[in-house]
Amino acid sequence: MFSCFLKSFKLKTTYRVNTFIYSVKQLPIIKSLLKNTLYSNKPLKVLGLIFSIILELIDTFLGKFLYVFLIIFSLASIYEGESSNSVFIHIFIFLTIAGSFMNTYMFNPTKDKYYAMFSLRMDAKLYTLTNYYYTILKVIVGFLPFTIIFGLMSHVPLIICLIIPFFVAATKIIVASYLLKQYEKKDQITDENHPLKGMWILTGILLALAFALPYFHLTIPLIPSLIFMIITIIFSLTRLSYLNNFNKYKEIYKIILTEGNMNLASYKTNNTNIQKKQIEKQINIKDNVTSNKHGYAYFNDLFVKRHSKILLSSAKKVTVFALIAIIVCIIIIKALPPLALEINNWLLVMLPYFVFIMYLINRGQVVSQAMFMNCDHSMLTYGFYREPKVILNLFRERLKSVIIINLLPATIIGLGLTLILFVSGGTDNILEYPLLFISIIAMSIFFSVHHLVMYYLLQPYNVNSEMKSSTYQVVNFLTYLACYWMIELQIPIFSFGLMTIIFSILYCLISLILIYKLAPKTFKLRV
Amino acid sequence: MKLIINHLTKSFEEKIVLNDINFTFKQGKIYGLLGRNGSGKTTFFNCLDQDIPFDEGTFNLIKDNETNTLQLTDIGYVLSTPNVPEFLTAREFLKFFLDINEDKLKEKKTIDEYFDFIHIAEEDRDKLLKDYSYGMKNKMQMLVNIIANPNVLLLDEPLTSLDVVVAEEMKEMLKSIKKDHIIIFSTHIMELALSLCDEIVILNNGKLEEIDRKNLTDQAMKDKIIKALTEEK
Repeated sequence: MFSCFLKSFKLKTTYRVNTFIYSVKQLPIIKSLLKNTLYSNKPLKVLGLIFSIILELIDTFLGKFLYVFLIIFSLASIYEGESSNSVFIHIFIFLTIAGSFMNTYMFNPTKDKYYAMFSLRMDAKLYTLTNYYYTILKVIVGFLPFTIIFGLMSHVPLIICLIIPFFVAATKIIVASYLLKQYEKKDQITDENHPLKGMWILTGILLALAFALPYFHLTIPLIPSLIFMIITIIFSLTRLSYLNNFNKYKEIYKIILTEGNMNLASYKTNNTNIQKKQIEKQINIKDNVTSNKHGYAYFNDLFVKRHSKILLSSAKKVTVFALIAIIVCIIIIKALPPLALEINNWLLVMLPYFVFIMYLINRGQVVSQAMFMNCDHSMLTYGFYREPKVILNLFRERLKSVIIINLLPATIIGLGLTLILFVSGGTDNILEYPLLFISIIAMSIFFSVHHLVMYYLLQPYNVNSEMKSSTYQVVNFLTYLACYWMIELQIPIFSFGLMTIIFSILYCLISLILIYKLAPKTFKLRV
Repeated sequence: MKLIINHLTKSFEEKIVLNDINFTFKQGKIYGLLGRNGSGKTTFFNCLDQDIPFDEGTFNLIKDNETNTLQLTDIGYVLSTPNVPEFLTAREFLKFFLDINEDKLKEKKTIDEYFDFIHIAEEDRDKLLKDYSYGMKNKMQMLVNIIANPNVLLLDEPLTSLDVVVAEEMKEMLKSIKKDHIIIFSTHIMELALSLCDEIVILNNGKLEEIDRKNLTDQAMKDKIIKALTEEK
């Protein structure tokens, strides 16, 4: 068993190191300096092993720390008037039960499982059990310090603090054995990344019980909690033999690992079908719509209409949500006049905050992804589609669509904010009303242009839909960081609005010039 | 019409995949490009199709006594895996293609005439391409490349995985259009190359070499090809 564990750990390490080298090799400039021989570099492999062990430690402890501290300890301390220990235990128990369904490890489709059991044909049962027990051990060891620290801080008796990690492990074992039993009975299994509807409902109920009951001063008392945990642990021990005697792990993984839930980038034969299934799931292809347009407009029109689910629905949802938020805000302002002043003061300097909001609601990136996966991925293999005239004409049509899609929520947000500014007390500078509205529109157009331009200039995918450029990811990450950083800024509407509008206009002009100059060369499939 | 390749060199890091290739392909012939796995056939096509940068070399097209650099519009590249826009019906795909190329196409036909030419049944013409079979997608890919009427048609194992009827239809279709094109057909199947292609070219050790099939039986030709493909540097 131990040798099987060692082999699988080595495999995981190799996979991590190679993925790391591969990612670094995709970076501009650096990629030309690094050779393929790096993959056989021994010191690098040792470094990789150390890196992998550190990752294991982080995986073991950091997540558990954040979970216990942020989700349980911090939230438990919010409930006033309740004894903190019973709230702590109460939340822990319900979240643990929810988590045992949503985070099973056993039914999580990961690449290392695929490589081990299918590519390298390791014994599926041995591999699964060794790694499963290792994960269960990590759960116990990882939780223990934090249940002790935060449990004691919440005045939970030490004995319960010590038992909680075993209780977490026990629920996982019971749920895993239950799901395996269900498979034996009904021949049905789902991977944990795509839980059934019932699972979501159950999780919702458990979350509600975890957080809502303490609000109504209802928590499970300590002693019943302790008894429940002990019974769970004892019961889980009886389920271990079931896990050990179960012989259909390979069957299960055949279902889980080929259900279109892994991005097996290096397995091209499987990849095409998997990607295809994902695309068909994500994108609603309606076949009852048509278009009266011509040429590029015709092509783009059909694309937008046939992908309305992914392109338009979300923009409509955001619009409705924004509308509701604005109405609620106005009602609050009218109902609670003291808040009006605060909202007014906040709004006068918080326009930068909306850069992040507009970034979050912009559909540009999703639209570009859909364009690639369901259109350009195939069309770019045709020479005629890569002619500069075609690229630029289609770019123009697409830009119009993306801007229009995003303008719908932007207009509502822009008008809503202007209205909120007005009803909450207004501003001395009358120019700030139009500036507020126009700058929101400018932000929306900016993000629409930005995402589409980046896609055309850095088109990062190859014909198998594998991401071949980290530059694209780096740019997206930097965009996120820049927008996130804006949250911290407090600048009056007038100056920030003006800056936003000028910046957006300049950015759009420059990027459109770049598109006309560079896109015919850059917009092609990566090889 | 001739496609002249001069000094084409392409390497990936230290590995030279295409090594100073000089070759002339002529109109009216189907060239069977044979090579072992990893010999660089797809790289060769990708260079011609300007999908990847190459270290050195030029591609010239001599047509009507005029020599020009090979342009993207001169090439049609049919991949082994058919790629079609799945959100369109076959008719919509063709309409879009014909719309945007209306000023270029010389002998225009109706959409249905094109479908007849490639043997796509009437009831399939208004189906979404996502519901097309592998072979039908392949036909659509081939059709669009043929209508575009490129001077050079690159075919990367296009008949692999097709059923015998469709494969036979495609072979006949290729023979029917070869007089106006330079067709380079990459395949692993020697029988297919020998039955369809006018010339056999092998890519081995980074070099292109034409195998003279004059007065040779198929078996003798096969032996000669195998010998050439297994030759070390």
